[in-house]
Amino acid sequence: MKKRKLARKAAATVMAAAMAMTALAGCSSGNGQSNSGGATTAADTAAATTAAAADTGSAATAGEVTIKFRYWADNTDYSQLMQDIITKFNAENGKGITVVGEETPWDGGAYSENLFNVKMGGGDIDCATWKLTSTPLFVNNDLLADLTPMIDTWADKNDIDDNIYGIMKEAGGSDQIYVMPWNIQVLYVYYRPSIFAQAGIEVPKTYEEFLTAIEKCTMDTDGDGKTDVYGFGMRGAKGGQEPWGSFIYGRGGSFEDMTTAGAVQGMQDFIDIYTKGYVPPTATSDGFNEIIANFQSGLTAMTIHHTGSSANMVTALGDDVSAFPFPAGTGQWTSMGDTETVIFESCKNKEAAFEWVSYLATGEGQKLWCEGTGNVPVSKTLQASEFFQNNRFMKASIEGQSYAGILPILDTTTEWISTLWPNTVSQALTGSITASQCMQTLQDGLYQ
Amino acid sequence: MVKKRTIWPYLLVAPAVLIIVCVVFIPVLNAIVMSFQSYDLRRPKDIAFIGLGNYQAIFKDSLFWGALWRTVVWVVCGVGFQFLFGFILALLLNRSFTGRGIVRAVSMIPWVTPGVLIGLMWRWIYDGNFGVLNDLLMRFHLVSAKIPFLSQVSTAFPSVIVTIIWQGIPFFALMILAALQGVSTEMYEAADIDGASPAQKLFFITIPSIKNTIFVTALLRVIWVANSVDVIFNMTEGGPAYSTQTLSVYIFNKGNALNLGYASAMAILLALVLLVVAIPYLKMSFGKEE
Repeated sequence: MKKRKLARKAAATVMAAAMAMTALAGCSSGNGQSNSGGATTAADTAAATTAAAADTGSAATAGEVTIKFRYWADNTDYSQLMQDIITKFNAENGKGITVVGEETPWDGGAYSENLFNVKMGGGDIDCATWKLTSTPLFVNNDLLADLTPMIDTWADKNDIDDNIYGIMKEAGGSDQIYVMPWNIQVLYVYYRPSIFAQAGIEVPKTYEEFLTAIEKCTMDTDGDGKTDVYGFGMRGAKGGQEPWGSFIYGRGGSFEDMTTAGAVQGMQDFIDIYTKGYVPPTATSDGFNEIIANFQSGLTAMTIHHTGSSANMVTALGDDVSAFPFPAGTGQWTSMGDTETVIFESCKNKEAAFEWVSYLATGEGQKLWCEGTGNVPVSKTLQASEFFQNNRFMKASIEGQSYAGILPILDTTTEWISTLWPNTVSQALTGSITASQCMQTLQDGLYQ
Repeated sequence: MVKKRTIWPYLLVAPAVLIIVCVVFIPVLNAIVMSFQSYDLRRPKDIAFIGLGNYQAIFKDSLFWGALWRTVVWVVCGVGFQFLFGFILALLLNRSFTGRGIVRAVSMIPWVTPGVLIGLMWRWIYDGNFGVLNDLLMRFHLVSAKIPFLSQVSTAFPSVIVTIIWQGIPFFALMILAALQGVSTEMYEAADIDGASPAQKLFFITIPSIKNTIFVTALLRVIWVANSVDVIFNMTEGGPAYSTQTLSVYIFNKGNALNLGYASAMAILLALVLLVVAIPYLKMSFGKEE
């Protein structure tokens, strides 16, 4: 009896000990964040968790160095392309630098949120691909390395336009450069020449002609009384603020003050093409996949995107797809989509990481990536090459570069893009609020 | 000797308690503390104690009240129809027929499918241009034009409610089916002898016998459905025009925007609402029995 009791106690003790060890192992995964009592700010926490790993700048590359690089890829071809570029760099850099690529999906912007969570938790990513809208958040939390000293001594510094460095500084909110330029995507208008021919119109040269083209390209092609082709593929879901901006500026509005008469009129134009049935009824929830699918299937005659999708467009439509820069009205604007790279403050060998990001910016990596994806290079040398000068989509991008811009990069921008813009514009499109109320809400939400 | 006997059981349960404290209680306490702070990671240098500031802002927030109302509709319709169809399914699966085992297994598919996959799958089913639902409706001439289910305010919320009903039916069916196995067949035989109709047997024997299971299952589903984010987020992200934004989705969106103080305050309020529902419900359900 006593022996049985002892055996039961021993078994119970072993099980309890196993559970305790599991709990301790789970809790000790290296997450240094603590919010208890609220006394620790996020900045202090980030500094505390990365202090042990931070390289404060004097070390040169010595021996073998591994750089962890996180990136996203829009499709499997680009994924393979990036892996090929990494392999090439690792084989040819001659400085013992090995880049290890870690791909995570863009996922409508969740890439940036996940990256923030990882870095705040002390994750060991050294550098990553980037969107400017994330810059204030990371700078405020002291997560990014200041690249200014390295860029100032970089041999290829002048191969990138000063204007682009200016935009990088603006995003960081100071004279420091935290973001390394990589490539840009200037939005233009895709159109179907066959549908234009059917509608009897030419490529619009003004904003007003563009609105007329949308109307004329909306057609019932089989005479059954239902619209078979819509003039424009409107993107009403998250991300749609970029093509939408062209309408606002077309009437003389701007992002600085979205409540002016011109801005409100631009919003009214946007509402009108929806309520008049010139865009698919699904527009309020159409995202990237939907507008591209609708355009390639012939449901829409025009849509707005950039060279990143041009290769797929040509595969799907051959010569029956072309592009023109968004035309001028009272004003003219198109979104300059951006993709950059950053090096994190926690990186132990920033010089090695800079070798990699500069290879992407002006070296062989820039050439391979931009030629493979159709993105506009930031390297002036590469921009002047025959490949980019002879591509009709690249031409539309380069023509739009002079009036391309970005949304104000504020700490409210991410929430504005993700939640406020799509829902407020949907309210306006569906008639719950007026154009004026919509623009006031957007203004208040961005500049709170 | 007596002291050792008293301490021993507590020592054995201590690891489990430690896990629960770390995983449940500390995060809850953390959320309560954050709800009294202007805890916005976009402005980390402005984090400070603000008392009831977040709660005051929430009560003035029209989006909060809209989300709360939609949560009520979401739970009442979602759980209500899950129960109704789950009950019917359980009664059917309780009968003997050829292939019953396979049918029981297949009917569990909605429950075992991850919520993210369900959201993506139904999003494409509902697609206004290429979705299979519109294709079927057009082929059978039930509609003359395709319906943009998830793109218009009038149909988006009912569409996601249908999806959550589809997801939850198997859970009710499973729990009720298990409870039905415990109902004594002698009562049905006695009822047959007394000439009871099928409806009388259902309302006077079956339902009273399994009512405790129904109560507990319904309460669990109310809490889970009220807190669920995955299905709505993957289908509509709360749009269009906030028409599918329940309180849990609003909390998730605010948390994603890194305004953790505001999100925590809303989460505390949602928890209090669920407690206000759960406690009287439990008293009413089990109080009579005592």
